[in-house]
Amino acid sequence: MSTWLAVLAVGLLGSLAAALWRVWHGPGQADRMMAAQLVGTAGVGLLLILWAMGERAALDVALVLALLAALAAVGFVKASSVDGAGDPEEEAPDPSMIKGRRHDP
Amino acid sequence: MAVFDLALCTLILLAALAAVAGPGLFRAVVFFVVYGVLIALAWVRLGAPDVALAEAAIGAGLTGVLLLGAVGRLSRAGADEPLTSRIDWPVALAAGLVGAMLVWAVLSLAPGPGLAPAVAEILPQTGVENPVTAVLLNLRAWDTLLESVVLLAALIGLWPLARGGAWQAAAGPVHHALPDGVLAGFGRLLPPVALLVGVYLVWAGAYQPGGAFQGGTVLAAAGVLCVMAGLVRAPGMAAPLWRLALVAGPGLFLALGVAGMAFGGFLLFPTALAKGMILAIEMVLTLSIAVTLALMVLGPPEGGGAQ
Repeated sequence: MSTWLAVLAVGLLGSLAAALWRVWHGPGQADRMMAAQLVGTAGVGLLLILWAMGERAALDVALVLALLAALAAVGFVKASSVDGAGDPEEEAPDPSMIKGRRHDP
Repeated sequence: MAVFDLALCTLILLAALAAVAGPGLFRAVVFFVVYGVLIALAWVRLGAPDVALAEAAIGAGLTGVLLLGAVGRLSRAGADEPLTSRIDWPVALAAGLVGAMLVWAVLSLAPGPGLAPAVAEILPQTGVENPVTAVLLNLRAWDTLLESVVLLAALIGLWPLARGGAWQAAAGPVHHALPDGVLAGFGRLLPPVALLVGVYLVWAGAYQPGGAFQGGTVLAAAGVLCVMAGLVRAPGMAAPLWRLALVAGPGLFLALGVAGMAFGGFLLFPTALAKGMILAIEMVLTLSIAVTLALMVLGPPEGGGAQ
């Protein structure tokens, strides 16, 4: 049982590593941000596995991470709006105009 | 699990290296957020869930919002040129020196249980069952008291940056969003859950990992989200009640510390009353930490009227 969980954990870490590759290569800002969200999701999954392996408090950490990892996405959306306080959805009917699509220099 | 730990360490080093040495501010910030998630995992593996909770909440959550906002601001100001890859030798030397000292400190740690047995021995007299909370709020209450004051000082340090000197105006810019859009919907969905989790973390902190800082951060996130989704206006310091919320935590902490002098010394809590005193401090401190952190993430007032 525990061996399987360990194999699963290493596998999830592999998917997390793939997300790191995407954060590095982009090419768009939104690509990097979505990859960071994938890292958050994989992190929650890994914490649940650690909990199943007997790490009692990992469940609470998973809960907090699930709640707050999404906050970075909100921060990104805010920062991508024209005045930094808006919402790309309200100002760009054409999704290709959303600045998150722009490539990093 | 040795394979897992080794792989995790490798990813941590890669994420840190990419954040520090990689080109592009935005990429560096995203790597910093990712680094926070990985470090939280490492703390769980090291058996330090209290630190993992703080790292998940602050490193991967609030700091990410703060830094992404800063990058967005730089890019709007046209100041987000690619970082030069030139090595700043004095900085590299100083960082290398600190790094070498840390390695030396870790290598020279005497193997053994550390202070854990000493804390376990005195735990019944501290009024709480979670050894970390016992250390933070009883045995080394000085540290925590000063930390809460530092947090307040940091926020006050933001106020001189307020536009037009109007430090009492509502914090940050005036946020707005599409009323029925994704962002506004998210702002209605997440805060109630965050509220529940934040209160749970503070309450649970007395007997398991959790506490005022972790709970306060989650509550701050709920508040920041409500404001960013354009659902409520950020509070301003013109209202005395909000100022009270800022100082209530450190204030009560200080007052109960002084009251401790009747029982033998500053910040000495008598065993019989310790649980009640610590819980009272934790709850009020959570409120202060939540309001302080939320106001810091929202930023100094940028005009747009109070409240």
